[in-house]
Amino acid sequence: MKRERRQFLKGLVGGSVALGLGFSGLRFLEALPAEGAVPAAEKIFRTGHNTNCDGACGHQVHVVDGRVTFIEGAGWETNIDGRAAQTFNPRICLRGLSQIQNTYSPDRIKYPYRRVGPRGSGQFERITWDQATSAIAENFQKIQTQFGRESVWIAPYTGALSLLEGVIGASFRFASVIGASAGDFEGDNEGDSAGPAAFNYMLYDPTAPANSGGLLDGHEYTDLLNAKVIFLWGNNLAETSIPDWRTVCDARNNGTKVISLDPRYTPTAAGADLWVPVRPGTDTALIDGMMNWIIQNKRYDEAYLLKYSVAPFLVHPKTKLFLKHKDLVPGGANKYVVFDERDRTIKRYDDPTLTRASLLGTHSFGGLQASTAMQVLADTMSKFTPEYAAKITDVAPETVVHLAQLYAGNHPAAIKCGFGLSHWHRGDLTHQALLTMATLTGNIGVQGGGVTIMSGALLSNAFSGLGNFWNPDGKKWVPLQPMAACDAMLFGKPYPVRAAWFMIDNYAQQMADRNKVLKALKSLDFLVVSDYVLSATAELADIVLPACTYLEKTDLLGSFNYYLQYMPKVIEPMWESKSDLDAFGLVAQKMGVGQYFQKKPDDYIKDVLAIGDPKAPESVRGLTWEQLTSGAYRLNLPAPYVPYADKKFATKSGRIEFYVESLLPYDQEVCDYKEPIEASPNNPLYQKYPLVFLSTHTRFRTHSQYANLPWLKEINNNGEGFLEINPTDARARGIASGHVVRIFNDRGWMKVRARLTEAIKPGVVNCYQGGWVTRQVKHYIEGHPNNLTHQIANPAQSIVPNFPSNAAYYDCLVQVEKAEG
Amino acid sequence: MSKRWGIAIDQNRCIGCWTCAVACKAINNQPLGTYWNRILTSRPNENAPTTAPATLAIDVPHGTFPDVQLAYQPTSCQHCQNAPCEKVCPVNATFRREDGAILVDFERCIGCRYCMAACPYGVRTFTWGEGQYAPEFAVGYGKDYRSAGRLVFTPQRPIGVAEKCTLCVERIDVGKQPMCVDACPAGARVFGDLNDPASAISVSIQQQGGRQLLSELGTDANVFYLPVSRPNKVRS
Repeated sequence: MKRERRQFLKGLVGGSVALGLGFSGLRFLEALPAEGAVPAAEKIFRTGHNTNCDGACGHQVHVVDGRVTFIEGAGWETNIDGRAAQTFNPRICLRGLSQIQNTYSPDRIKYPYRRVGPRGSGQFERITWDQATSAIAENFQKIQTQFGRESVWIAPYTGALSLLEGVIGASFRFASVIGASAGDFEGDNEGDSAGPAAFNYMLYDPTAPANSGGLLDGHEYTDLLNAKVIFLWGNNLAETSIPDWRTVCDARNNGTKVISLDPRYTPTAAGADLWVPVRPGTDTALIDGMMNWIIQNKRYDEAYLLKYSVAPFLVHPKTKLFLKHKDLVPGGANKYVVFDERDRTIKRYDDPTLTRASLLGTHSFGGLQASTAMQVLADTMSKFTPEYAAKITDVAPETVVHLAQLYAGNHPAAIKCGFGLSHWHRGDLTHQALLTMATLTGNIGVQGGGVTIMSGALLSNAFSGLGNFWNPDGKKWVPLQPMAACDAMLFGKPYPVRAAWFMIDNYAQQMADRNKVLKALKSLDFLVVSDYVLSATAELADIVLPACTYLEKTDLLGSFNYYLQYMPKVIEPMWESKSDLDAFGLVAQKMGVGQYFQKKPDDYIKDVLAIGDPKAPESVRGLTWEQLTSGAYRLNLPAPYVPYADKKFATKSGRIEFYVESLLPYDQEVCDYKEPIEASPNNPLYQKYPLVFLSTHTRFRTHSQYANLPWLKEINNNGEGFLEINPTDARARGIASGHVVRIFNDRGWMKVRARLTEAIKPGVVNCYQGGWVTRQVKHYIEGHPNNLTHQIANPAQSIVPNFPSNAAYYDCLVQVEKAEG
Repeated sequence: MSKRWGIAIDQNRCIGCWTCAVACKAINNQPLGTYWNRILTSRPNENAPTTAPATLAIDVPHGTFPDVQLAYQPTSCQHCQNAPCEKVCPVNATFRREDGAILVDFERCIGCRYCMAACPYGVRTFTWGEGQYAPEFAVGYGKDYRSAGRLVFTPQRPIGVAEKCTLCVERIDVGKQPMCVDACPAGARVFGDLNDPASAISVSIQQQGGRQLLSELGTDANVFYLPVSRPNKVRS
C-alpha cells in the first residue's frame, strides 16, 4: 500500500506546481491504509548496551514483526533487596540510538568465510559453519601439538564487554579448556592500564593473591553531585561519556565548579567553568606544583594523613625502604615506626604509648637521619614552585596556584579522568600523583571526592562464580597481554604464538605501532576473526566468522555501573551469525572438550551470579531470576557507591601508600615528575618532529565500532578523518583547511585533510582514532593514526601482574607537511 | 486557558552531541541527508547563522587560542506563534494548533516550498525523490498520525511534501514528551506549557532568562534558549 503511494507521488511531483492548486488534497486519497487495518503488535525488550563504553546504558528496544524499529534509553529498578535507590535517569546517546543501523547494516558479515587469496587480499569464499569450525579445530590442534598449547592466543577484547561474550567472557573458558594463552580480562593494556596500575601501586598490594593481580574501583557517576569542585582531568566527558554530563550540570546547579584540563578546547572544555590547556604529557608536573603549594601553605588534611596514609612512617635513609621496628631494636617487630612528638622518640606506629606521631620532619636513629614519608614527599615536591611547574606545563604560575586553591579549598573535590592520561608512557606516574594529591587533601574514600577513571568496576565482587566459569575443573589459560602477544608472534618470546582468534577486536588497526602489528598478524600460521563487520583485522583472517550484535544473543552486562543488566536475545541472529558462546561450543566439540560448553547462556549467568544460593556475595544476595530478567536491578550497595569508604586498603600497610616501596627499583617511589618518553621538547627527536600527536576519541564512534553507521557518519564529515591543527602551526607549513597533509615520524605516516582550529594548543595536533582502514572503507586517505604510535611500555608497571604494560598512544612526536592530493 | 507547548533548550548544558538530532531522525524515519533538527554553533548567547551547513567542522570554536568560545544551538522548528510559514502557505497545509504546534497537512501540501523560503530558521526539509534509508525498512513511530483529522505524520517520508519537526504531536497528545527531550543525555531540554507560569519550562525561562531566536522578526517562537552562564571563566 505504502509503496503504491510513493510511486503515485513520484509520478505526480513533476507536474504538481504547474497544475496549481486543483490537486491539493487529492494525492493521498488512493494511498491511505485500509480502515481498520491492525498494526503489527509491538514488543518492548530491556537490554544493556555491552559495547566498550562506560555509559553501559540500558536500552529499551522496540520490536515489530521480529524487527527492531526503535531504541531508546531504559529505566532502572531499585536495589535487589528492595531498598529504594536514588533516582537514575535513563541514559542514551547518539551511538546507542544508532544501534539499529548497526544490526541491520549492509556491512554485516553474513556467513562464515575461508580465505582463498594471499593474506589480506580480501579474497574469501563462503563456507559452512561446520567447515569453518572443523578448520579451526584442526589448525588449533596441529599448532598446539607443534608449538605448545599456549601458541594459540585467544583475544577477546572490548568490542563486547559483557559476561558471556567479549572481554570478560566465555573466551577465557574456551582458552582454559584448550590450554591456550589469552589476554587478561581487565588487564587490557591497549592504553588503558596505566591508570589502573597506579591504583594498584597505592591502594592495593598487587602481589597479594587476594587482589588477583590488579583491581580498580571508581566512584559512581552520581557521586559527582556531592563534589564541591570537579576536575575533569584530560577527560572529554561531554563527548565520550555523554550521559554523565547531565550529572556534572546538575552538580553545577548546586554551585559545584567544573574545571577542564586538556590541551584541546573540547565540548567539555567549552562547557566548563575553567579551561586549562596544559602541555600534553606534563600533567604530573602540574599536579606536583599544586601539591607543593598545598604542602607549603599547610592546606593538607593532617589528621587524615596520619590515620589513613603512610605519611608519618619513617623511611630508612639508606635502603629507602620503610624503617621497621626490627631495624632499630634487635628482635624488634616487623612494624612501621613513627616519631612521637611528645617524648621525641621513635616507636612502633601501634605502640600504646604513642601520643602524637610527627607528620613531617627528619629524626635521628643510630647515627642516621630518617625522614617521614610525608617529609620525603614534601622534599621531592619542593622544587615544583609555581614558576617551575609553569615552565614545564605552559600553565601560568598564578593558574597553578589557583588550581591548588580550588582543589584544596573545596572539600570534597572530585577528580574524574578518562583514559587520556593513561595513554602516556608514564601515565601510571600521573595517576600516582593524582592519588597522592587526593590523599593529601583527605579525598580518598570520601563522598564527592576520589580519583575516578571508570564509574564502576567490572563487578567482579558480584560474580562469585566467575572463577569456575573461567577455569572449569581447575583448567587455566596462560595470560598473555596484547603487546606481549605481538612480540610472541614476531619473535617467539616468551613463547611462540602461531595462531590467534580475535572476537570483535580490531587489533590490526587499534593497537599501537600498527606496522609492527600487521607484521605480527601476517606472520601467523592461522588467524580466526569473529566480528559482525569485515574489520581490518577480519580482512587478514584465514577464517572469518559472522558474530552477533548485542541484540541477537543472550548475555549479562555488569560493568561500568552498579546494576545488573540482563540482555535477552531481542531478535534472532541475522543471516548465519552466531554468538561467541555458540561458536566456542562448536569448536570445543571438535577439539574434544565439548562437555564444557553444554549449558545454555541463562544457566551460565545463574551459575556466575550464584542465583538462589544463600551464600552468594552480599552484593547480589537475594537476587531472583525473575528480578534479573525483568529489569536492571541495583546491587545491594549504597548509592552513590564510593570506593574505599571504609578506609580499608588492601596494601601491605593497610594504608594509602603514596610512598611505594616496590617502585624503588624504577625510581618511581614518589610521584616526582618525569618527562614523557618521546613527546617532550627536550627530546632530541623534537627537533625533527616538533608536534605532539594525539589520536583522541570522538562522539561518533566507540573506538572503531560504528564508524560505518550513516546517521553518525553524515554528522561527522561523512566519516572522513581529518587532522586538527592550530592555524599558527598550519601557516608555518603552508597548510590551509582542506589541504591534504602527510603526518609522519620514523615509525610511519598517514595522510588526511587538515582542519585548522583554534581549539588545539599550538605544537599539538590531533587525528580522531577509530576510522577504518580496510580494503573497502578508508576513513583516512592513507594510513591510520596507529602507524605513528609506539609500543614502548614503562617497566615500572610490570609489578602489577594484570596491568603489566600500557600502550602510550599520545606519547608520540610527528611532523606534518602539505602533501599532494 | 489552553496549553501553549514549548521547549526550552539550556545552552549551558548543551554539548552539541547531536543525540537529539539522531533521536529525531530515528523516531521520524528521516532519509539520509535529512535533519529536522540540527546543531549549529555560535559564540555564547548569539544567534548561530541558520544558513550555514550544519555538519561541517562542528566543534571549531570562535576566537584565538586560548581565548576561544563556543556554544551549541540545536535548531529545529521554533513553532512560532506568528509563523511566517503558515502565512505564506497557499493551501493552508501548514497550520497552527491551538496548543502552538505548527504542523503540515500532508494531504493538502502541494510542494510549492514557499514555506521553506519564508522560514527564517531554515528548518524545513523537502523530500524530492525516493530517499535513501538505513535501515531500509521504516523505523521509529511507524504509524500514520492524524491531528483533528489532518494527516500530519506517516511512517515513510512523503515525496513532494514540505516537512519539519512536528513537536512529536503523536507523543505529546498521549502525555509523552517530544523524543528529543526524552533522549537528551544532558538534560538540556525542558518541555512544557508556557501558559502555566508554574511549569518547569516557564520557571526556567523566567529564572535563567530564556530568549527566542531572531525575536526581532516578531515570530514569537515557542522554543526558548537558556543562556550560557559560566561564571569564573579563567584562562591560564
